[in-house]
Amino acid sequence: MNLMADILINVIIAFLAGSLLLGLHRKVMARVQLRPGPPIVQYLLHSLKFFFKEVSFPKTASMPFYIGITVILAGIWVTGVIVGPVAKGSLMILFGIYAIFKIVEHNSGSSSGSPYGKLSCVRAVFSAAGELPLFAVIGLVFLKTGSMNIADVIAYQSAHGPLIMSIPLAAIMLFALILTKSPYSPFAITKGKDIVSGFETEHYGVLRGYIMFSESIAFYILLWLFLTLFFGPISVVGYVIGMILITIITGVINAITPMLNPNHSVMSQITIAIVCIAGTVLMLVA
Amino acid sequence: MEELYYMIYILVFIIGLIAGLLLSYKKHMEPYIMSEIDIPSLILAIVGWFFLLNHGLIRFASPVICLAIAFLFIGYVIGRRPGYGRRETAIGIAIAAIVWISTSGVLF
Repeated sequence: MNLMADILINVIIAFLAGSLLLGLHRKVMARVQLRPGPPIVQYLLHSLKFFFKEVSFPKTASMPFYIGITVILAGIWVTGVIVGPVAKGSLMILFGIYAIFKIVEHNSGSSSGSPYGKLSCVRAVFSAAGELPLFAVIGLVFLKTGSMNIADVIAYQSAHGPLIMSIPLAAIMLFALILTKSPYSPFAITKGKDIVSGFETEHYGVLRGYIMFSESIAFYILLWLFLTLFFGPISVVGYVIGMILITIITGVINAITPMLNPNHSVMSQITIAIVCIAGTVLMLVA
Repeated sequence: MEELYYMIYILVFIIGLIAGLLLSYKKHMEPYIMSEIDIPSLILAIVGWFFLLNHGLIRFASPVICLAIAFLFIGYVIGRRPGYGRRETAIGIAIAAIVWISTSGVLF
């Protein structure tokens, strides 16, 4: 298939599937909390709705930056689709995308001039340590397979079995990252309800549409990465079942846990990372 | 080429979800209460789940068309407003699973 068509189709799949999974996540949380919850398709309908809403700009906004940051946000996650499901390329590029995402989160919060956005901006810097597990996972996968290329990791697993059996603690670390990035997570300090919607608070209309589009793709990519890195070459049915199961598990966890304060959130993530890194290195050495 | 089919399946599933949601809000003005099974929804659920799990048995249409119809119908039934469509979906899954087990050679 033509490369451009391949990219376009994969981006549409990532957006639609990611939106449905985020809708399912809200539904699961609601059912755990004994509420009916919104329909699964609601997140997608909200995203599409924002593309047709009137855009307004805060007087305090740093103007070109305020608009540009949402386009960059959408751009980096489209790049994530290209590097991940389309090309099965380097894990380091995906790590780079997560690093840029932190910068975008930071700047999106500061560009609006809103106090809520600024608090989220500060927390984005503070929670950059939360990306430590992803970097550690990439390093541990490299130590085990000898490659940082996703295609090579898949080939390694088809020959030696899924990595979840040989480095399970690394899988736990990546799962902790999925939990961090999922909505209403105990670690999601940048979008805590104590600061309204964090860095998204002052983005309206099509700009919010871009942000929601990006969030859907980001969630899909993270789940795809987890299943690909630790469960090897699996069929599309395996991906669907795996993504639904992880979404349900994170939904249940997020429904029954309060949001941690920023210090505890970061320290918890770092503690999980250190324990899992030490355990995995011991397993690899032994 | 397979990605194109996956995109089509997701799209028809979403169309089914939205159609189910809109039509069920028109049909049922009240929140869900235990009531009689909705026969049209039951038929759609049985056909949808049958096509999804047993599309290999169907000779007169390609698997892509069968799966697209399956996702449309399944989406329509499970996309209805909260509560509605649950029992119909459960019956559809049960019938489709019984047919799949009895024809796939799992038991024998």
